[in-house]
Amino acid sequence: MAKLIYLDNAATTFPKPDVVHDAVHDFYRNYGVNPGRTGCDLALHAEQMIHGTRKKFSAFFNRTLVEAGKEKDPNRLVFTLNATMSLNLIVNGMVGPGDHVVTTMVEHNSVIRPVNHKVKEGAEATYVVPDGEGYVDPEDIRKAINKNTTLVVVNHASNVTGVVQDIKAIGAVCAEEGVRFAVDTAQSAGVLPLDMVECGIHFLSFTGHKGLFGPTGTGGICVADDAEIRGTIYGGTGVRSAYPYHLEEYPYRLEAGTLNLAGVAGLAAGLDWVLDRGLEEIHSHEMGLMAKLQDGLSGIKGVKIWGTKNLKRRVATMSATLANYDAGDVGTILDVDYGILTRTGLHCAPLIHEHHGSTPRGTVRFSVGPFNTEEHVEAAVKAVAEIAADRPA
Amino acid sequence: MHVGDVNVEFDKDGFMLEPELWDDAVANAIAQEEGIDEMSKDHWNIVKFIREYWKENDLAPPVRMICQQCGVSVRQIYKLFTAGPARGACRVAGLPKPDGCV
Repeated sequence: MAKLIYLDNAATTFPKPDVVHDAVHDFYRNYGVNPGRTGCDLALHAEQMIHGTRKKFSAFFNRTLVEAGKEKDPNRLVFTLNATMSLNLIVNGMVGPGDHVVTTMVEHNSVIRPVNHKVKEGAEATYVVPDGEGYVDPEDIRKAINKNTTLVVVNHASNVTGVVQDIKAIGAVCAEEGVRFAVDTAQSAGVLPLDMVECGIHFLSFTGHKGLFGPTGTGGICVADDAEIRGTIYGGTGVRSAYPYHLEEYPYRLEAGTLNLAGVAGLAAGLDWVLDRGLEEIHSHEMGLMAKLQDGLSGIKGVKIWGTKNLKRRVATMSATLANYDAGDVGTILDVDYGILTRTGLHCAPLIHEHHGSTPRGTVRFSVGPFNTEEHVEAAVKAVAEIAADRPA
Repeated sequence: MHVGDVNVEFDKDGFMLEPELWDDAVANAIAQEEGIDEMSKDHWNIVKFIREYWKENDLAPPVRMICQQCGVSVRQIYKLFTAGPARGACRVAGLPKPDGCV
């Protein structure tokens, strides 16, 4: 079998940079204790690492504030285990019975399912329909907002087609309508520039193990300094233990129990690696490969590319199918016969597949990362061409 | 489906409801439904491996293992069984519907 070619970076980036491995090892070998539970030097060292990472990410998501010399409260950068947990905290903390939430058909199940559970509990939801390419019109968000709307939650970059929504325009709509705005950046954090102030974002949900190159089990929420959210998990905080209820102050309001400390150490190193290499350089490299991949696959008879082909408002993710093949079968052939790893099916985002018409079997998703090369793309195109030739359209 | 004196029933996806009724005659009958006029040595090689693996492990073998053990590529399996290893070869091997998610 040929050497492994990893084209599933939308699921998790692989490999991770060595500096991330080193940071995790360094934490466990040298100061792997629980901050907040003791005052020893090692615990203080761990606390400094955690707080330093809060500051680092607060600045990363609030460039405008930092450049203006203003402070962003780092304690409003809370750590979670993944984007799904972040989005659950946001939806549960902002939507109750009788409330209305606006979201889109582009969302991942990490939004769809918490929202649907809220609907079962008496809330209402509107799923805004994107255009044929998958882009949401910000004015359609405005039309969906009503007097009971407490939250607009929008996927920044699609994990199915790579479509990037105009969150600046949607944020402006939310500001004009006086509604809190949450953004799911699972596919865009570390990939595209993100500025909470510029985009009017009140709650920015991120995962650590994709474009930020941290370990799995990391993620978080950055809460704007002028926004509030109910805490919905309760437990140990390491401070004020005699108080019978969970603490209201941040970060405790949204954190309970011991953090994934080693993961946060790796996450900090991942962000440093991204910043050293440069978001623009990484994105440009990935989109160059995506252009070549899209061009190559488009030239194969029987290949259909779903959603947009626009390479401007896009991350390096693409969904395709082959005539006369089930998407899952193509993925199996690519994996076993060619050593090319993709992701097939509905990608936990059933509504956008329904919108594009790629249900029930879904698509083959190709997602490019910074460690991919032109040779990888050429191999993928050649493999798909050979598979397609076995069953001509 | 009647194969000799035996009535073989299938689920909505065409997989046997009573896999223990499977034998070579049933395999040939399902193969006909799959568009295979005559089971070749290569067909039987794959079907027998899948059947034996399922009897020992109570689940279908991973596709990679079928390829390694039977010395074929996945593309070759698709040429032998148009519906592929799961919906084609496993069905002919008389397995119940393999687990899988989309």
